[in-house]
Amino acid sequence: MIRTSHLTSDSAACCWIPLFALRCETARRPELASQSCALLAPDHPRPPRVWQVSALARHAGVKPGMTVSQAIGLCPSLKLCEPDPVHYDERFAQLLTALAGVCPVVEPVELGRTFVGTDGLEGLYGSPERIVDQIRLRIADCGLRIGSSGVESAIRVGWGRGKFVAWVAANRARPGEAVIVRPGEEGRFLASQPLGVLPLDPDTYRRLRQLGIKTLGALAALPEDAVVSQFGRPGRQLWQLAAGRISEPVAGRVAPEPIIAALTFFSPVAGQELLELALDHLIERALKDPRRSGWRVQVMRARAELEQGASWLVETRLKEPSASRERLLAPLKTQLERSPPAGAVERLAVEFTGFAPGTTELQLFARDANAAARAGRRRALQSAAEEIKLRIKRPMLYHVIAVQPWSRLPERRYALIDYET
Amino acid sequence: MRHETDRLRALNVPQRVQVELDEQRRPRVVMREPGNVKRVESLGENWRMDDEWWRQPIVRRYVEVVLEGGGRVVLFEDLITGEWFVQT
Repeated sequence: MIRTSHLTSDSAACCWIPLFALRCETARRPELASQSCALLAPDHPRPPRVWQVSALARHAGVKPGMTVSQAIGLCPSLKLCEPDPVHYDERFAQLLTALAGVCPVVEPVELGRTFVGTDGLEGLYGSPERIVDQIRLRIADCGLRIGSSGVESAIRVGWGRGKFVAWVAANRARPGEAVIVRPGEEGRFLASQPLGVLPLDPDTYRRLRQLGIKTLGALAALPEDAVVSQFGRPGRQLWQLAAGRISEPVAGRVAPEPIIAALTFFSPVAGQELLELALDHLIERALKDPRRSGWRVQVMRARAELEQGASWLVETRLKEPSASRERLLAPLKTQLERSPPAGAVERLAVEFTGFAPGTTELQLFARDANAAARAGRRRALQSAAEEIKLRIKRPMLYHVIAVQPWSRLPERRYALIDYET
Repeated sequence: MRHETDRLRALNVPQRVQVELDEQRRPRVVMREPGNVKRVESLGENWRMDDEWWRQPIVRRYVEVVLEGGGRVVLFEDLITGEWFVQT
């Protein structure tokens, strides 16, 4: 991985896969493709709300943010799925790793949407079209499956100067295609775009529409001062975006230097159990290092200094980068069992040497202990549910969901739904 | 094909029971199934509920009772069909 202190780029490619989480779910469970389905919001357990909605469900009137009872009222055959944010993060990290192969300047925004800095790539690949082709090629080769087909048919790419232009271009692109906005064409391109591409709150959007403003061109045609006097400081930013006056560069993140956690024993240790415990403790310490926040570990080593000057070293490369202690410990434990140190250990160290970028959600996961605990519990429940299903041949775990909690009829208030694994 | 609605199982669905009433139409004996017959020890709150008059009217008379042995249950009489149910 290239490390530089100035990972920024003025020209940007925006790669966008709408409904990324839902598509990940459909790739895992192909039967969902032909059904009206929706994912429940991971951060809104009570009352549960709908997060991402399939086209069939949308056609029936289901919209993100609705409560489950509203959604089922509109679409009785709606299939509700429990979200698995860790799985979606892992899939997205796979995509980001592929993009980092084109250019190290990668800035993830949200699940399914990321910017890639493309400054200087023309020397390697040529015109913006070639750069975009290269990006799409890398994405197609990364093996990620999205929805019922490969990722290349779902991803939309936009290229332009600055993140906003690239994002609007990706927004206008058809699935599997790209829109390129050449330098100097930004103003003309933006002028015809609808207001919805701006980062507007619903109230501002409504007020602008009431003023008869429907496109960025119409907004940019107003005097900047007039927009500022109506909408304050955010108004200035909106006007400048609409007029193509702001060109925010893509800012990549510098991958952290190796993170090392070490432990010197009072007296040399030879017991395997004690060494496993020590590894577990060291992994936990290394994960807590603030430099690790926002990154998943892909490559790690365990090193030991043995009695009489000998040493021991094992390295493991995770197929799927992880920030989970258990997942990191498992391969090291296996290596410890297969090829244990040849003597008693005086000093043991764990090193994280390779990292894969994570998403904003991932950073939240790493920082928010409660969210991490929730994800851990969900995984534990999932494996328990799978085991029960295997043994009893039918699901025995259910969620209680509020259907019509306000109903005067007790039997209409709550319902059980299968705990999906 | 199984629909999602089939997979939603309502909680607290009323269970049909046989109820013997006294002369004031108050529950005296409750039979959940043959052989499971319990005498009503005492009566608690009672209330009436009218709902969905605009389509299929639902009219229920709820009675809270304590059965012999100490079990507390909520019974209701469907005032349209005259059937009795238990619903906790």
